[in-house]
Amino acid sequence: MTIFHGFNTTASALTAQRLRMDVVSANMANAESTRARLVNGEWEPYRRKMVVMEPNQKAFSSYLNKAMNHLNDPGQGVKVTRIIEDRTPFKLVYQPNHPDANQEGYVSLPNVDPLREMVDLLSATRSYEANVTTLNATKNMLMKALEIGR
Amino acid sequence: MNLFSGATLHALEQGLNGAALKQRTISQNIANVDTPNYKAKKVVFQHALDEAMEGKAFQAYKRDNRHIDFSNSNSRGPYVTSQKGTMYNHNQNNVDIDMEMAELAKNQIYYNALIERLNGRFNSLQTAIKGGR
Repeated sequence: MTIFHGFNTTASALTAQRLRMDVVSANMANAESTRARLVNGEWEPYRRKMVVMEPNQKAFSSYLNKAMNHLNDPGQGVKVTRIIEDRTPFKLVYQPNHPDANQEGYVSLPNVDPLREMVDLLSATRSYEANVTTLNATKNMLMKALEIGR
Repeated sequence: MNLFSGATLHALEQGLNGAALKQRTISQNIANVDTPNYKAKKVVFQHALDEAMEGKAFQAYKRDNRHIDFSNSNSRGPYVTSQKGTMYNHNQNNVDIDMEMAELAKNQIYYNALIERLNGRFNSLQTAIKGGR
């Protein structure tokens, strides 16, 4: 439990937010991909991906502190537990000439909504910036602590 | 007389400890600003510091000098509590990012002020050691 602990907490958040941005990029890049996965010999379009985050409390020290009733442990930051797929139905668009169109002439396109992705991207960017500010604040405090007795 | 055992130095030290813990807690809250079901954490130490300095700590009522004092070694230090019961976002998260950023700025200034005071103390000592030269 040192002050460097604050850096690790913020670093974990920076990693998580960057991963969120990467997932948004992947979703946007595949907004029109109709052949993402082969299911029973049929092509299925790309499914929108989402990250699942949870507070990182799996470290041994957090259990030890809880067991010993030390109440001065704020936690070890955040982590992405997994990336899940959005199960909402695909968009159906009438395009009879498309190679993946069904008998009625409809193509199922990925369930990616560019608007929602942009909002997600904005949210991730802002969170990232907030964490950078925190990192700088912690760093300045450490530098200031080095001036004790100077 | 001991050089470093003054009440001021001790209080400043406790203040720095509390501010460092608060910094870690704010980092944790900002790190989890998008985490579903996360509840914001808060450091309680200002009141503990005030109590310690005014001698208002929770005292045991003793009618006999063989009675034992409450052990308040734990209650004096800063500790972290979780704020349950409120909800700030739709995902059960209750981190108020504006408040956290304001607390961050406040904590930084507080920490710097403590360091300045500590340096002032040490400079006075140094002046005394050098005999005013």
